[in-house]
Amino acid sequence: MPSVVELVQSLVNGIGIGLIYGLIAIGFCVIYNASGIVNFAQGVFVMLGGMFAHTILTHYGLPIWLSAVLATILVAGVGVLVQIFVINPMWRRNAPLFAIILATLAVQLLIEQVVILTLGDQPRTYPEFTSGGPLKIGPIAVGYQLFWVLGCGAVMVFSLQQFFNRTRMGRALRACAQNREAAALLGVPVERMLIVAFALSSGLGAAAGILITPTQYTAYMVGGPFGINGFIAAIIGGFGSPPAALIGGIFLGVIQSEAIVFFGAGFKNIISLTLLLVVLLLFPNGLFGGLTKRA
Amino acid sequence: MTVAADAAHLIAVRDLAARYGHIEALRPTNLHVAPGEFVTILGPNGAGKTTLLRAMTRLIASTGQVVFRGRDVTSLKTHQLADLGIIMVQEGRGLFGDMSVRENLKIGAYKLAGSQVDHDRQLEKVFSLFPRLKERISQTASSMSGGEQQMLAVGRALMADPKLLILDEPSLGLAPRVATEILSTLGALNKEGLGILLVEQKAPLALKLAQRVYILSSGSVRAELPTHEIKSHHDLALYYFS
Repeated sequence: MPSVVELVQSLVNGIGIGLIYGLIAIGFCVIYNASGIVNFAQGVFVMLGGMFAHTILTHYGLPIWLSAVLATILVAGVGVLVQIFVINPMWRRNAPLFAIILATLAVQLLIEQVVILTLGDQPRTYPEFTSGGPLKIGPIAVGYQLFWVLGCGAVMVFSLQQFFNRTRMGRALRACAQNREAAALLGVPVERMLIVAFALSSGLGAAAGILITPTQYTAYMVGGPFGINGFIAAIIGGFGSPPAALIGGIFLGVIQSEAIVFFGAGFKNIISLTLLLVVLLLFPNGLFGGLTKRA
Repeated sequence: MTVAADAAHLIAVRDLAARYGHIEALRPTNLHVAPGEFVTILGPNGAGKTTLLRAMTRLIASTGQVVFRGRDVTSLKTHQLADLGIIMVQEGRGLFGDMSVRENLKIGAYKLAGSQVDHDRQLEKVFSLFPRLKERISQTASSMSGGEQQMLAVGRALMADPKLLILDEPSLGLAPRVATEILSTLGALNKEGLGILLVEQKAPLALKLAQRVYILSSGSVRAELPTHEIKSHHDLALYYFS
């Protein structure tokens, strides 16, 4: 039986990784709510965020904050390119949603191969944003990077809420999510809104990747696991609002972390996938019911 | 007909046709609305009325030509037509149900961009026509009654400052009193100079308001005539099935 200290420590660790899952989940929600598309390339944006930040940091010697900003912009650009060259042409030809979703999976695999060829297959990491630490609270150790994840996560969720509720473009995105035809009939350029959704979503994924890389590592193949966990978090949260997705992520992160303490690392995925099935059985529309809106 | 010949019309549709797969839902159709005119399209279920409106607003692919205020707008997209002032209220209202009345109205004013003066002027106009929307301003659209939702749908369209307002069966599912109230408001707007193209099943109400009527049946226009020439339902039935 694990000690209280072990349980609390794993809780802290779980919240940290859960926030990352939450940010990825928000990325899933932004695109899904604007288009009905589940973007399985979301995980690859996480990987690209870490890879680009590392490359800019090590090759050009820029400060970490600037590397992070540039990497986020670059990945958002990749997201826009994916939308323009893959999603939009299929969208215009009225391709079935499952075909578009399959295309996003192909994009994930394609980008992974391009990364192997251009940046290599070796894992890489960079120092935490604030050196020193961890902060000791009694027997519990809290890495400074967790505070960065917490702070950036809170700022991003708050900013997204403000964006969706208070800005013209944010309201237009929500309108597209609810009724694309009605939005277009009022002058909303729906295809442009989808580009905005991809830019936002890929930028969020990049931010998650940039924040988590110092505590773990990044490599061409990390996108898959991050994408799957972000997707599970989005399902648990119900594909609803950003806070719901974030809570879904924290919930998943904590459960995984506690599963490692109780049963060992091998059970992490067994427990999280079982949790997904339990949630889907008891709450078919997610914990916060967001999936009903598109049913 | 040429674009120049159609310049006198607010909107003119030439040989507009649309298909759903192998089904020819709309045969080549001609139609026009003059500036400040109220035109009604009547026809039985399945006549192609909604298809005609969806083709005109580019919600579905079509062949033929659409000229608006003397400009060929056939190649424009739906949102670009809205920018020019062609605003349609869809059948079923097309409200953003999870959004409040205020947010729905703000989306209606999307094309006014940052102009707060224009926005406030349109909002005052909408509230003067539908005072109930002001009372329900913070309520979500889906929680309102059918009549209030239709008022919101029309009010939201007016927020876009339309030059041509197209409505697809606005009285559908409404109590007769509410339907009359909404259609009367459309009549008042028309008297102020707004061009209106109305698809409506409640023929007596529509005929009271409109100056001209097109009768559509089996995907093509069967008749175009001034409303005063239609004396009874019997006349309409003759056109429907002729």
